[in-house]
Amino acid sequence: MTSIETPTENPTRPAIARVQGLKVHFASKKGPVHAVDGVDFDIADGEMLGLVGETGCGKSVTGRAFLGLIPQPPARIAGGRILFRPRRREDTSEDTPEFRPCPTCKGADIVCATCNGSGYDTLDLLAVKPRTMRAIRGRRIAMIFQDPGKALNPILTIGDQLAEVFLQHASADLLADIGGTGDMGGLAAGAVGRAARQESGRLDGILSRVPPVRGHLRRLRAALEDRIAAALAETQISNPRRVIRSYPHELSGGMRQRVMIAQALACDPDLIIADEPTTALDVTIQAKIMELIKMLQEKRKTSVLYISHDLSLVRRTCDRVVVMYAGRVAEVGGVREVFAAPRHPYTRGLLDAIPRSGETRGVLASIPGTVPELVSPPPGCRFADRCVHVMPECTRVNPTLQPLTPDQSVSCFLAHPPAPGAAHKEPELQET
Amino acid sequence: MNVKVDTDGTVAHQDDAGDVLLSVRNLRKYFPIKDGVLQNVVGHVKAVDGVSFDIRRGETVGLVGESGCGKSTLSGCVSGLTDPTGGSVHFNTRGRGSAHGPLDEGDRIDRMDRATFAKYRRNVQMVFQDNFASLNPRQLVVDIVGRPLRVHGIASGTALQEKVVELLEQVGLGRQHLYRYPHQFSGGQRQRISIARALALDPELIVLDEPTSALDVSVQAQILNLLNDLQAERHLAYLFITHDLSVVRHMADRTITMYLGKVVEEGPTQDLFETPEHPYTKVLLAAKPDLDDDPDVPIQTLAGSIPDPARPPSGCRFHTRCPVATSTCGWEIDDIVRELETREDLFDKLVGVDRKSDLEATLTFSDSAAAHAVWEAIRSDSVPETMRDAIETLDVRDGALMVRFAKPSAIELREVGTGHRAACILAGE
Amino acid sequence: MSVTDPNAAPMRETAFSVRTRRWRELSATILSNPTTVIGLVIIVALLAMAVFAPWLASPNTPDPYQMPRDWGAVRMPPGTPGHVLGTTNQGGDVFYGVVWGSRTSLQLSIVVVSVTVCIGIAIGSIAGLVGGWVDEALMRIVDVFLSIPELIFALAVAAILGPSFSNIILSLCIVFWVKYARIMRAQIILVRQADYVKAATVIGDSKFNIFRRDILPNAVTPIAVQATLDMGNIVLVGATLSFIGLSESGIAEWGVLVSEGQAGIASGRWWASTFPGLMIFLWALAFNLVGDGLRDALDPRTEGR
Ligand SMILES: Nc1ncnc2c1ncn2[C@@H]1O[C@H](COP(=O)(O)OP(=O)(O)OP(=O)(O)O)[C@@H](O)[C@H]1O
Ligand SMILES: Nc1ncnc2c1ncn2[C@@H]1O[C@H](COP(=O)(O)OP(=O)(O)O)[C@@H](O)[C@H]1O
Ligand code: SF4
Ligand code: SF4
Ligand SMILES: [Mg+2]
Ligand SMILES: [Mg+2]
Repeated sequence: MTSIETPTENPTRPAIARVQGLKVHFASKKGPVHAVDGVDFDIADGEMLGLVGETGCGKSVTGRAFLGLIPQPPARIAGGRILFRPRRREDTSEDTPEFRPCPTCKGADIVCATCNGSGYDTLDLLAVKPRTMRAIRGRRIAMIFQDPGKALNPILTIGDQLAEVFLQHASADLLADIGGTGDMGGLAAGAVGRAARQESGRLDGILSRVPPVRGHLRRLRAALEDRIAAALAETQISNPRRVIRSYPHELSGGMRQRVMIAQALACDPDLIIADEPTTALDVTIQAKIMELIKMLQEKRKTSVLYISHDLSLVRRTCDRVVVMYAGRVAEVGGVREVFAAPRHPYTRGLLDAIPRSGETRGVLASIPGTVPELVSPPPGCRFADRCVHVMPECTRVNPTLQPLTPDQSVSCFLAHPPAPGAAHKEPELQET
Repeated sequence: MNVKVDTDGTVAHQDDAGDVLLSVRNLRKYFPIKDGVLQNVVGHVKAVDGVSFDIRRGETVGLVGESGCGKSTLSGCVSGLTDPTGGSVHFNTRGRGSAHGPLDEGDRIDRMDRATFAKYRRNVQMVFQDNFASLNPRQLVVDIVGRPLRVHGIASGTALQEKVVELLEQVGLGRQHLYRYPHQFSGGQRQRISIARALALDPELIVLDEPTSALDVSVQAQILNLLNDLQAERHLAYLFITHDLSVVRHMADRTITMYLGKVVEEGPTQDLFETPEHPYTKVLLAAKPDLDDDPDVPIQTLAGSIPDPARPPSGCRFHTRCPVATSTCGWEIDDIVRELETREDLFDKLVGVDRKSDLEATLTFSDSAAAHAVWEAIRSDSVPETMRDAIETLDVRDGALMVRFAKPSAIELREVGTGHRAACILAGE
Repeated sequence: MSVTDPNAAPMRETAFSVRTRRWRELSATILSNPTTVIGLVIIVALLAMAVFAPWLASPNTPDPYQMPRDWGAVRMPPGTPGHVLGTTNQGGDVFYGVVWGSRTSLQLSIVVVSVTVCIGIAIGSIAGLVGGWVDEALMRIVDVFLSIPELIFALAVAAILGPSFSNIILSLCIVFWVKYARIMRAQIILVRQADYVKAATVIGDSKFNIFRRDILPNAVTPIAVQATLDMGNIVLVGATLSFIGLSESGIAEWGVLVSEGQAGIASGRWWASTFPGLMIFLWALAFNLVGDGLRDALDPRTEGR
């Protein structure tokens, strides 16, 4: 593929993922709900990108689209692509044929400009085969959900749940941990390998009783527990070995969220989608969990898409922020720029609505009106019926996301007056 | 002091005789913990444990604290939904403009006669956090908002309908919404319906239990403005429960901080935010980033988790997490047990705890090596220094470890400024 | 402070029009499911059969619920003039049995379902609302009932009471309320703690009104679904009891007819039990289809969204 200059590109770092013209529509009684309707943004390699906006503006749908977690039906991907370039890794055993080498350097060059040295060509996450998606989930892109109580299986211990992730995605590492299976016969080595990959053959039940195999399996289990404990310890959970044997309900919300983070980080993914990871938690630990994610992200140089409606947490933890409104991107930019000088009227309204110290009571600036219905929306700016600066053009043509400074892009006619007379066409999003 | 009913020597409030609408005195609510087939009561969750405060006419009192600290339980007791285990709630039912008389035994809501209690019911209304769950999904807006009027025989027929329209208009809705079901509204609109229902009986006090927590900031701003307008118009008093400190700061005249069922600090909002006296309030304030702070200054966070409210720590309940705890803050045997719980190898060897009191016990271990290891650990840096200081005797004999802590200081709410009280040894120093 | 409402409804709306619209919408949802429609069509046909029974097959005995005996035309195959579906060993007209059997079945299911639903709602509500040892005691009774399979329990009760059709009805009433009591109790406990119940308390409404307006309407949905399913199931169970001879012989009841006709199957006289058997099947199927459709339509996750 060719590199496309999008206005949302982070100027300093190459992108690990790029959402282009993403459209997701939901079937409803009243007609198709345009939940996500042409969203573009980039996630730079190693950055923490915030995605903010009101309830129902399409944040979670966008996040879930990365991992093919959108229920179809009722949903329908009505257009767009999510391009993702995996990072270079030692262990490529899980790559599927769809993981193609970089067309320029054929995967050989670690300073190749096209692939940023990753050696991979980009994948369109909306078009990959289910098998490839399974190889991506957890291993390449992991997700942290809002409600840690619902995302963990109540009948498995924490250890069992984490073991599953390791066995699924890191079996080769585990085998390396126990020093390989070289000293064993082929049959026995196969059995240990299968155990590590969580498969089992008919013979394995018998083989696992053969002393050398049993020894290896025991060591495998010990190695597994060490890994799990280390993963939990990394999230600063106290007493990981006890947590391993606990059931989800025995842990507090904060601890469960740490387990979720450990699970997400288990395979050292390239990208983490964190959908409101702290919303279900108490104020006293929200900041702590976010700092933990931030710390681990910086340490491992992972990229994070942090979905939230808590603007102050986003301001603290993210490098850049995408502001969504009614299924579209209103503004994108560095957090400092966007928070200090918001350019989209909606971003401004959102920031002003937060009570601050010293403000007179009863006169909080609030955006009048409510979020528009997303069933067959009319043309024009989605914010037009609530915007104080609305102009005639706003209800006729769609403002597009255009750079204002290298660090900030806005989709509003205040910042980019529409070309006089020129019929503004929707940008061509679907290219081949 | 205008409340003469202070039972068993609780906080004496020296406020000037304001126009007190509601007084809560030494309120306690314990929930039984049941276990086994016979559902025997094996203990109590002390959700609210000795809380006293006043609300004056027309003022907003903010109530903040972590989840599970007893805010909702307290609001249930204040609004008469829950019968308290102990203590009392007093309400001035003499109406607006009544003489500023003190509230007395006759104003206790559990001792009121029928007619007076009905007045109390009319005058204390509530708005809940979950805007969907607080409206009956099978009723139309006209029935939901008109219901209080019907129940109290205030209006019926077309008069009722007109009154409902009037109420809806006050909260920014209109006649066109009369015949809709709750699910046809957005979250913010549903919260407006709840507010309209609460206003129907023209109450003097509205208890707001996290009214905006489920809403987006822009909708929250609309609701907060609405609440403020209504307060100005009708001279309403609010008990505003929330965990969002910027909202309390914006809304409340006075703020109360709760921790594990107790009030730890109370004062005029401005004082409490500018000069917080209790370490817990300080942590709460520092834990929540806001839009004006410096993003490079790290957020202060709190170690550990909320202790089990069924066995709250003695002395100052916050001492297990307090960053500035002193040796007389209430260190006790449970702290040693809690410490052991983090050391699984040792905890597994603990076979029994023979308590003489909260402060004195003999811990028996399965082998003397373990007892020695614990003895070693308790004297080492792994436990807080102030806890070590609080230990009067620490003997190890075979597998048994004898511990006795020094008696902690009495820690009660005390005055640290005008109308500003905090329950901390260090407060006001 | 006004909120612009993009889809503001016309002013003409009244409580009546809105409520009827809700029913219309609900029925539209139900009718949009083809299998439910099939079920409904079968039910309507069966009901029509029950209503017009005297015209479809005119009785010639003093008690129309007794099979007429035509000893001159025993074991006639289907298609015999005057006996479209043939006759039984005793010369009973199978068509007559099929038609009048629908009345018997309707009677059975309506009586049993309405009695058991009332008992179940009452007991479940008492258990859920009063709580404490009352709840404990009632639920222990329920557990005892549930520990015995319905059919075997009903069979035992009917056997004790003696073979008669009304005893079958009685035994089913004794057995079937348990399920409703359990569902109702669970629902009451769930609904009782809803915030709208608290809100009604704070308003000052009476306990009875709160039960009537808030708790009951929000608790009965699953009961309605279960009752619809049971309209079909109970005929099945009743027929089974009749089949094994717990009913009087000679009455126009599908189970009895199947039972009495089965002896002939071996000798090729399939019709005497096949047609009534088919009716039992259709009846149970139809109500199950409608019950499932109702469950989907009333699903709180989708209702009204
Ligand atoms: N009905 C009940 N039975 C037993 N325990 C209860 C009951 N209601 C509350 N509790 C317990 O009482 C304590 C205080 O609960 P409460 O609901 O008042 O907390 P809260 O401060 O409102 O928290 P949140 O911010 O999560 O709403 C908690 O430990 C809770 O588990
Ligand atoms: N499974 C679903 N079925 C129908 N509509 C859905 C579904 N999931 C999301 N939506 C709709 O998509 C829109 C965006 O939802 P979401 O991304 O969850 O919002 P948020 O920004 O709060 O995360 C909303 O209008 C929502 O109702
Ligand atoms: S494009 Fe027009 S309506 Fe939209 S935000 Fe800008 S000024 Fe407002
Ligand atoms: S009394 Fe004060 S210093 Fe002591 S533990 Fe409590 S809050 Fe901390
Ligand atoms: Mg979401
Ligand atoms: Mg609460």
